[in-house]
Amino acid sequence: MPDTSEHFLPQARRDGILFQAIDDEVIVYDTERHKAHCLNQTAARVWEHCDGQTTVADVARRLAREFEAPVDQTAVWLAVEQLQKARLLADAPRRPTGLSRRELLKRLGVAAAVALPLVTTIRTPAAAQGASCAAQGELCGPSAGGLPCCPDLPCGQIGGAGDCVCVPPLTKFFPC
Amino acid sequence: MTFNAHGVRVGVRVSERSALERVLERLPPGWKPARSPIVSRLYSLVVGGDGPRPGLRRFNLLYGDAARLARSREVGEVLEAFETNLQLYVAEMAPRRLFVHAGVVGWRGQAVLIPGRSFTGKTTLVAALVKAGATYYSDEYAVLDARGRVHPYARPLGIREHGALQRATKYPVSTLGGRAGSKPLPVGLVIVSEYKAGARWRPRRLSPGKGALALLAHTVSARRQPGAALHTLQQLISRAPVLKSVRGEVEQVVEFVVKTFGDR
Repeated sequence: MPDTSEHFLPQARRDGILFQAIDDEVIVYDTERHKAHCLNQTAARVWEHCDGQTTVADVARRLAREFEAPVDQTAVWLAVEQLQKARLLADAPRRPTGLSRRELLKRLGVAAAVALPLVTTIRTPAAAQGASCAAQGELCGPSAGGLPCCPDLPCGQIGGAGDCVCVPPLTKFFPC
Repeated sequence: MTFNAHGVRVGVRVSERSALERVLERLPPGWKPARSPIVSRLYSLVVGGDGPRPGLRRFNLLYGDAARLARSREVGEVLEAFETNLQLYVAEMAPRRLFVHAGVVGWRGQAVLIPGRSFTGKTTLVAALVKAGATYYSDEYAVLDARGRVHPYARPLGIREHGALQRATKYPVSTLGGRAGSKPLPVGLVIVSEYKAGARWRPRRLSPGKGALALLAHTVSARRQPGAALHTLQQLISRAPVLKSVRGEVEQVVEFVVKTFGDR
């Protein structure tokens, strides 16, 4: 690893974060960005060890003890990079290793003894997205308490006045 | 009038008494009249009717507290907006229930959940399962309690026979030869699926975490009460596998469910 990253002490973000363990995985919910992240076992263990006082090399050593298998530092860096991208680390430099994800994966190769860390992210829906949609000609958007139109139908005002309705294809309309 | 739906107390007032009957038809399944006049939301329906001159009609208006929610010359459209808005409000605010946008059927004492956005074929699959002998629970929301059990939300099925080009027609479950469930059920299976013409149903099991994420993506109150949502989904996921695959015609999935749970 480059010298600049040797003393990097990753710290997990705790403000605005809720989490729930589900089997070996952890779901982390970011209440500021309304995103939910699923951390697989390796990513979850790395995240737990990111206390701002432990170097990446030490995290790798701790994981090796827990998994009872060799853990390459590169796997930890890969997790750190994904956690950073998901904004689950506090005040971390943009790319601590200076290596791209592709380079990290290449360095790690296929011989990793533990599962590769993986962070899967979704944006949680606003409440209005949790309803069935409005069909063609039905009220939508501000005229229907925020109800969205069904796929491929825009919500608009025909003739620029009146209610917002789901506009039929090839019809001129003004956006609501 | 005031009523209670899934722990949310709501009030409705109308400018004409005759409109009240049509309002009652639009209330969420499981509503009960409430005695208290204190409500968390008050809907006001102003019926337009004839205008001052012949051939002129006044707008029908719907308000949610002080905000105007809908305005139309067709009272049916305003009632439609009332139903949708109320349903969504209850789904988001219910204090002890988690609403997931999903179709639900019961099969041999266990529930099958089919979460998904509109136009992914939820209702089609629910209707096919009901025709195959399943008990109908919902084609709109899976209503979950803190133990991860699903409660009935058996409004008539809204089937769109002409895609987005036409409004959904409502069919009581009895017209499909089925019956609605009345008791809460533990969830036995979650099917994350989307219709794709000609696709083959080849389900793969999601990890528990990814399964929870798939359900959270369709949870109405995910942003409002994420902690409670995660807890409830954890309870559900600990018992039910989550399977994911695109599907072609519904028969493949119906056959799979019948094989999984055994014939009735």
